[in-house]
Amino acid sequence: MTVYQKFVLFVTLTAGALLSGNSYAQTDSVSLEPVNIKGFVPEKFMSGLKIQQIDSAILYTYKFQNISELLSVFTPIAFNKYGPGQLTTAFFRGTSANHTAVLWNGLNINSPILGQTDFSTIPVAGFDAMSVQFGSASSIVGTDAVGGSILLSSIPQNQTNEASVAGQIESFDNYQMQLAARYHSVLNEKWSISGKTSGYFNRMNNHFPYRERREYALLPAEADQKGLIQDIFLTSKNDQEISAHVWLTGNKLVTSPANLVGRELTLTEAYRTMLRYRIRDLTLRTAWVRDVIDYAKGDFENVDHAVTDKFSTRAEQDFTWNLNNLGSNIYIKAGAEWTHYRTSVAGYEKPLITEDRADIFLLTRWQANRRLVVSLNLRQALVTGYNPPFTPSIGSEYQLFQRNSYQLKLKGSLARSYRVPTLNERYWAVLGNPDIKPESGWNKEIGLEQSLKSTFGDVFTASITGYHNRVKDWTYWNPTKNYRVENLQQVLARGLELQLSWRRDFGAAKSGLNFNYAWNKSVQEKAYDAYSVDVIGKQLRFVPLHSAGLNTFFQYKNMRLTAQVQSVGKRYITFDNSTFLKEYALVHLIGEVTIPLSAVYLRVQGQINNVSNTFYLNTQNNAMPGRSFAINMVAAFRKGPKRLPILEN
Amino acid sequence: MKKQLSGLLFFAAFSVLVSSCEQSDPEPKGDYTAGVFVLNEGNFFQNNGAVSFFTREQTTADPDIFSKVNGSALTGGVQGYAAIGEQGVILVDNANAGMDKVEFVNSNTFQRQGTIGAPDIENPREVVVAGNKAYVSCWGSNADYTYATGYIAIIDLNTKKVTKKINIASGPENMVFASGKLFVGTVSDGGGKTLTVIDAATETIAKPIVLDGSVTPIGLDANGKLWVGAGLKAVRIDPASYAVENTLTISADSRKFAGHFAFTSDLKSVVYNLSYYDANFVAHGETYKFGIADTQISLATPLIKRVFTGLAVDPSQGLIYAGVTPSYAQAGYAVRYRADGTLVDSIKVNVAPTGFFFK
Repeated sequence: MTVYQKFVLFVTLTAGALLSGNSYAQTDSVSLEPVNIKGFVPEKFMSGLKIQQIDSAILYTYKFQNISELLSVFTPIAFNKYGPGQLTTAFFRGTSANHTAVLWNGLNINSPILGQTDFSTIPVAGFDAMSVQFGSASSIVGTDAVGGSILLSSIPQNQTNEASVAGQIESFDNYQMQLAARYHSVLNEKWSISGKTSGYFNRMNNHFPYRERREYALLPAEADQKGLIQDIFLTSKNDQEISAHVWLTGNKLVTSPANLVGRELTLTEAYRTMLRYRIRDLTLRTAWVRDVIDYAKGDFENVDHAVTDKFSTRAEQDFTWNLNNLGSNIYIKAGAEWTHYRTSVAGYEKPLITEDRADIFLLTRWQANRRLVVSLNLRQALVTGYNPPFTPSIGSEYQLFQRNSYQLKLKGSLARSYRVPTLNERYWAVLGNPDIKPESGWNKEIGLEQSLKSTFGDVFTASITGYHNRVKDWTYWNPTKNYRVENLQQVLARGLELQLSWRRDFGAAKSGLNFNYAWNKSVQEKAYDAYSVDVIGKQLRFVPLHSAGLNTFFQYKNMRLTAQVQSVGKRYITFDNSTFLKEYALVHLIGEVTIPLSAVYLRVQGQINNVSNTFYLNTQNNAMPGRSFAINMVAAFRKGPKRLPILEN
Repeated sequence: MKKQLSGLLFFAAFSVLVSSCEQSDPEPKGDYTAGVFVLNEGNFFQNNGAVSFFTREQTTADPDIFSKVNGSALTGGVQGYAAIGEQGVILVDNANAGMDKVEFVNSNTFQRQGTIGAPDIENPREVVVAGNKAYVSCWGSNADYTYATGYIAIIDLNTKKVTKKINIASGPENMVFASGKLFVGTVSDGGGKTLTVIDAATETIAKPIVLDGSVTPIGLDANGKLWVGAGLKAVRIDPASYAVENTLTISADSRKFAGHFAFTSDLKSVVYNLSYYDANFVAHGETYKFGIADTQISLATPLIKRVFTGLAVDPSQGLIYAGVTPSYAQAGYAVRYRADGTLVDSIKVNVAPTGFFFK
C-alpha cells in the first residue's frame, strides 16, 4: 500500500467515524469556548494530536526538580540518565534522543550541534508553563518533532507583585537556591507592564556515603547549575504586545573530580534571548541563542570549545473567518522563519561553519461545527545545500458525546515529520557527512479522550492513543565504520498509550491521581550488512517496551502529601537485544505545608526520593544513588489577592 | 571479623592440603574447569565488557559468566585474562577515570576473589601470569594520549597487591614471559620501537632492544626462540643473548597493519592479520600464516580471506579461534577454523570479542 493509499484509507475511516458520530447529535448544552489565538500558540493547530498540559500546581510541587523527573512521572517519555546533574536525554514514543523538539516560547532550543537537549540543564524553575505534545508535529513546530515536542513558555502574570526566595537542602551535600520576583504595573491609560526576574543556583556535590551499591560503582560527579530568567511583557489595550525574554543557563559538570589527570569537565552554557512584537494579527519575533559546550580532560585550562550562534527571525500573520454565527470558523496562520547558524567547533573540518535555514508554513484550524475541528498544516523547510521534504499534516477531533457530565472525543492525525541533520552529523571532521539526508517519517495516530463528572464532584478523565510512526533515513553513527554517520536505518515505532486521571474535592480536602502507561515497540526494519540480521525486528536500544508513571496527592487544608512512581521497563543496551538493563520503579514522597502569615506565605516541603532504596543502573553500568532526603523552603512575599500558592490550580 | 575470616581461610587452605594428600590427582571443581574463555571488550562508553565461555564441544556460549556467577557485571571492557592454578586475573577498563581494575576470580568457578583498582591499575592492557606473580601492562592515566605514563604492575597473587611498578614508555601492551624474563612490547599509537626485557628475579629492566617498528612479542617457537612483530616485519630473537637472528618482511605496503599474531599449536607457524582501513573506516584484509623456517613470507595465498578483531589458536586442538565484531552495539561471534583455514562453526558471544583463553 502506498502512502497515498494509506492516506486515503485513513481519511475514509476518519470520515466514516465522524459520520457515524453524527448520529449521536442530540441536544447538548456545552458551548464552544472562544478560541483565542494570539501570538504563537502551536497547540491550537495540533488538533488530532495528543497534548498534555502540566498544571501549575504540579510545576510548583516540582519546583526543585529538573523536568525529566516530572515528565517521568506524568508522561511515558523514557529518560537516559547518567546521574544527578549529569547528561539526561529523552526517548519519546520509541524514538531516539534526537527526536524530541524542545521549544521555549516557540523557539527550538535543542543544541544545534547535538540536535538534542540535555534535560539535566532544564530545571522546572526555568519556565512558567509546560505542555507535552505526543507524536510528530514537524509541520507545526519544525525539525526534531518526530517522537514529540515539549513546549515551555513564559506567561505574563497580571495580578500580583511577588518576591520569593526558596532553598533546598538535600542529602549528599546537594543544595539549591532560587530567587524570583514577579511584578505588574499600569504605565498609562493604554499600556501596562508585567514581568518576572528569577535566578537559580544548584550545587550538587553528590557526596554519596557509599562508593558502590551491590558491587557497582557510583561515578563521582559534581555539578554547578545556574540560571537567570528575565521576562518583560508590555501590553496595550489596543491589541498590541511587546515582550522580551532572556534565559541564561550555565551547567558545569565535573566527573571523577578527585582524579586530577582523569577528571572530565563539561561546561554547557546557553544564552537565549527573544524579542516579540504583536499588533493585532501580526506577530514578529527575533531571537538570538548562543550554545557553548566546553570539554576538557585533566587540565581544565585546555578546553575543546564549541560555540554556536543561532539568529532566528520569524513573522506570522493570522487570518480569521467566521463562517456562521454558531461558532464555525477558520483560523489560518501563515508564517516564515529564517535562521542563520554560525558554529565553531573544535572537531569540525573548518574553523567556522555557517548555514542558513528557512521555513515557510501555513497552519489552519477549521472549527466546522460544535463537534468537529480539523487542522491542515503545511511546511516547507529549506536548508543550505539541500531541502528537507515538504511536510504536511492533517488532524481532526470530533466530539462523540458532549454533555456536561460526560464528554467523549475521537482524535486522529496523519503527519509527515522530518529532522534536519545536526551540525555534528554534517560537519564533524571525517566522521560527519555534509551530504547526509534529512530523516523523514510518517506518523499516524488515533485516540479517544473522555471526561466524566460524577454527581459527587469526581472528575475522571481517560485517554487511549495508538500510533504508528515510520522514520526513513534514520541517521546512525555507524559503529562498524568507526562511528561514521550514515542514513542507515529505517525505524518503525508503534505504541499504545493510556492515561487516567481522577480528581475530587471534599470541601477542605482534595485528592487526585494521574496514571500513565505506554507500550512502545520500536524496531529497525532494514538490513545494512551481513550481521544486521541479528538486529532487524529488535527493540531499539534504550527504549523500554513498557513504561508507567503515577502521581497521587491528598490535600487537607494547607497540607498536602504527594506520592510519585516512575516505572521503567527493561531496556536493551545492544541493537541485537543480547544485553539489557533491568526494569525498575522509583517511589518519591513529598509532604508539604503552607503557612500563610500576614505578609508572607511560607511553604515547607519534605521530600524522600527513592523511598524503597531501589537499586538501578545507568547505561554506563554505574549504580544510581539510593534513598535521599530533601527539605525545601519557599517564602513568598505577595501583594495582591490573598491566595495560597498551593491552590493555584 | 577479619580475624575470623582469615582463620576460616586458613582452615579452608589446610583442608585443601589435607584432601589433596588423600587424593592423588584431584579433579578441579567448578563449571569452568576446561573450555574456551572469550574476552569481550564491550562498548567503551557502556562499560559492558564480559567473559564468555563454552566448552570445546559446545556450539553455544554462556555470554557473561562473571555476571552469572557473581550477580553483578565487570563494569568495563575486558582487556585481558590469565589464569594459573585456581587464580584467575581479569583486566577491566572503565570509560571513566579511576574506575579501572583488576578483578581476581577463582579460575574454575569464576567466583569473585577481590579487586585492585586505581591508582595501582589504570588503563590495563594485557596480563601474563608466572609462578605467584601476575604482570599487568598499563598505560597509566594517559589523559593526554601521549603514552607517557605507562608501567608494568607486578601483582603478588597470594596477597593480591601490586608490589612494584616498572615504568615503560610508549604504551606497554603485549608481553611474553619466558625463562625468567618478561618481554614487553608497546602499542602502535605510542610510537615506540623498543622491546623491553624485564628480569623477573630482580624486577628491573635488563635490556632494551630497539627494533624497526612498533613491537609486539608473539611467543617462543618450537626451538625456544622468541618471535616479535616489529611494524610490518617479523623478527626472531634469541631470548638468552637478545641477538636478532632473522628478520622477515610481512608486507611492503605501509598502509597496512600486521597484528593479532598467534602461534599454531605445534609452535612452528604464526598466523596473523594483515589489514588496512578504507575511506569509510571499514577494515579489510586477510589472515595469513608463515612458518618459523620460512626464508620469506608469501602473501600469495591467504589462510582465511577475512580480518578479525581477535585471533588465537587452541594449543590442545589446534583450531583457530577468530573474533568477529559486527559493531560495538551488538553481540559478536567466535568463529572457529581448522588449521588449514576451513570454517568449522561460529558461536555468538558478547560485544567485541578480541581475545581468547584456553583451558
